[in-house]
Amino acid sequence: MDKPQLIEHLHESVNYTVYDTKWIPLSAKFVVLGCKPNSHGIMDIYELNEQKLEKVKTVEKKAAFKCGTFGASSLRNRHMAIGDFEGRLQVLDLEHPELAVYNVKAHTGIINCIDAIGGTQLECGAPEIVTGSRDGAIKVWDIRQGQAPVVDISPPSQMGDGINRSNLRRDCWAVAFGNTYNEEERIIAAGYDNGDLKLFDLRAMAVRWEATIKNGICGLEFDRRDIPMNKLAVTTLEGGLLVYDMRTQHPTKGFSCVEERNAGRSVGSNGVISGPKATVWTVRHVPQNRDIFLTGGGTGSIRLWQYEYPDRRVIEDADGNKEGVAGKLQMISAVTLSSQPVHSYDWHPDKLGLAVAGAFDQSVRVLITTKLNTL
Amino acid sequence: MEKSKTLLEKYQIPINHLDFAYVDKCQNAREMEKIVMILRSGEEGYFPDLTRCAEEKLKQLKPDSKLFRIEEQIRSSNVLDKQELKPIYDWTNDIKNKDSALNELKEESAELATDLPPVRKPCKIEIDKEESETQNAGQVPKPNAKPQLKSTNEERIKSTDYSKWDKYDPDEEILRMDLEEERSKEQAKIKLRKTETTTTKEEHIKCEKGAEEQRLQAQLKKLSQIEREQYAEKYRLRGNEYFKAKEYDNAIEEYTLAIVYDPAQAARAYNNRAVSYLKKKNYLAAIDDCEACLRLEPDNVKALLRLADANYGQGRRRESYGFYQRVLALEPNNISAKSAGRIASTVWRLAPAHATRMIIEELQSEKAAADNKPKTQAQPKPQPKQVQSEKPPKDYDLAELVKPNRVIKSKIACAAEALGGTLKTRNPVASAQKQQLQQMMQEVSTAQAELRLPQSNKSGNNNNKLLIQEIQ
Repeated sequence: MDKPQLIEHLHESVNYTVYDTKWIPLSAKFVVLGCKPNSHGIMDIYELNEQKLEKVKTVEKKAAFKCGTFGASSLRNRHMAIGDFEGRLQVLDLEHPELAVYNVKAHTGIINCIDAIGGTQLECGAPEIVTGSRDGAIKVWDIRQGQAPVVDISPPSQMGDGINRSNLRRDCWAVAFGNTYNEEERIIAAGYDNGDLKLFDLRAMAVRWEATIKNGICGLEFDRRDIPMNKLAVTTLEGGLLVYDMRTQHPTKGFSCVEERNAGRSVGSNGVISGPKATVWTVRHVPQNRDIFLTGGGTGSIRLWQYEYPDRRVIEDADGNKEGVAGKLQMISAVTLSSQPVHSYDWHPDKLGLAVAGAFDQSVRVLITTKLNTL
Repeated sequence: MEKSKTLLEKYQIPINHLDFAYVDKCQNAREMEKIVMILRSGEEGYFPDLTRCAEEKLKQLKPDSKLFRIEEQIRSSNVLDKQELKPIYDWTNDIKNKDSALNELKEESAELATDLPPVRKPCKIEIDKEESETQNAGQVPKPNAKPQLKSTNEERIKSTDYSKWDKYDPDEEILRMDLEEERSKEQAKIKLRKTETTTTKEEHIKCEKGAEEQRLQAQLKKLSQIEREQYAEKYRLRGNEYFKAKEYDNAIEEYTLAIVYDPAQAARAYNNRAVSYLKKKNYLAAIDDCEACLRLEPDNVKALLRLADANYGQGRRRESYGFYQRVLALEPNNISAKSAGRIASTVWRLAPAHATRMIIEELQSEKAAADNKPKTQAQPKPQPKQVQSEKPPKDYDLAELVKPNRVIKSKIACAAEALGGTLKTRNPVASAQKQQLQQMMQEVSTAQAELRLPQSNKSGNNNNKLLIQEIQ
């Protein structure tokens, strides 16, 4: 077998619902965020030893934790930014988690998604955290700023009759930073429950582009945050996986994309992927190779994909406008990990092929992917 | 019964196509996929052998067919060799050391935070406002459709309102729609240009990078060794990604940063930058980088190979051959070194290919002076020259000379071969020689036309006369 293989290295069952798993940069430890049955938030820190996982620390707080990130913390102080079910954003020092470094009531609803940037990247602007919430707002935070967000991207306030417009607020399900290749440029991609995909330019402070996909957007990620936009992977309900070529924006057509409608399709007979469609919950690019990424599906499967660039990435149409050309997607490997959806997955930033996955079957798994360097 | 069609009916494939003979000769991948699906479904019965046969055929026709996408149950790590797990264990221990080292650094962090970029000025992006704006500007298809809808609603003419229909001019309507479309396109373009022009501002910022470089150096001093390693590795990997995407300039930039951040362990970055330079055909830079890499890792086979390639590209064959030999000394079975080394050595022993080529150029430009020039290296070349100087005195040849070019060319080549005998037909040079001869013949004939016109007249027919006059 020269193909990369996904292998389960360690398995840890927990007694709470896992919502997010993240490696602590430059360490063999990872953080598991979750919700206990009494709806308290729990954060476990595990350390990877040769044959077993060792629980290093447990922290319990009042509100259930939904998502977390290390993106805005430097290598020296690896603080974790966490969003919870009550709309609170807190930044915790993992050594002293009792007292938050930063604590703000960010949203009125649950914080669905979080992303951050600027911690380890040099010359790439201020460290910032972006949160997306059920209240429909996306807010950007700088922990030096105090209690107000630095950028507030909110839907119109619900004034007036409030009867017909009550469903106007969309639920923001996914956010991601990108295009941060110098101190000014920064872009946020956001996905909503109705399939709206929006691109906010934080330099121009405007909407750069928007599109609507058939199904709600569950996950999205730029292949790299700290380079000029290259690719954006988007996953949806009903098993859609779209990869946009973000190099060229056509004046009317926007960005071109390749779509894989059956990315979330479950397994039929004989292991052939031919069953009904299922949600693709998450997409994560390999930190060491931006053209390989993994999707976690509603059927408990994880699938490894490779993006192949076309011969020419830009063509000119009849009017002389430049238009991007999307490449091709190839499925490299697929395995069934769990009986429940795999909704969180994190590649280790420093070790190729090492990853941690969280699934709704109340367990956390450490995975190894072999032969990734051959691709 | 009726409600569900069988796959066979759905795909409209005759039942007799489910047959070994047909499967064997079918060349249509799409049809083959359908046959496999029918066979796998078991609707027409269970034929394990035929199914396998059809799958194999499909694999030949379309190896990346979606029908081969299978998913397995995940396997646990005990299927792996101890060998494969060992790097991960080693890495775990290694990273733990780094981790604890980083924790010690933590105290200083408060001071470091001062040189972070300033906090962004708080502001708002209103989704709603933007939407109303796009309605005016007409950006994506959606807004495009809206104004049209509106106008049709207002101006909708009832089907019975004949007087209005009389006034209706379809051409005008079409024109108006076209104009509208054009305008929306233009507006979108302007909007795009706006974003583009602002990006040009960053070009100016880039110009100030010289000053920034100093800042970078200052920043470097603040970083600990672990952090520098980390950053260097990050840049190197980014360089690799650019290299894979064939964006060599960007790759070189990233590798350079990797080298700046961690010069002590930059062997791989140097090595990779060397390949990028090789791809850019910047051989001298590649040679420098290979040497830098070899200074850090004297026995790096890849660097040696690249050094040899670069030297070869630069035209230093003797050095190149030497490096290939060194690679072979380190790795006697290195295939690329063997073959490349053989080429380098053979080329060296024979007269260098490009040396002869240069002489050809000389002949073309100044054929008369070149007569004396050719050195011993280019033995095959002087022969035609001699032939040329011998020929004019001979009458019988001249008649042929006056014939149209096409014929003359071949004759002369033959004659030269017959006379000289040494004129080797060396493949790479042959075509060049032919051209050469052709040109020489033209020169010769013009030169001779003056001298020997009477004779040629005597032997040649009318056509030939014309030709000579033209040449004159």
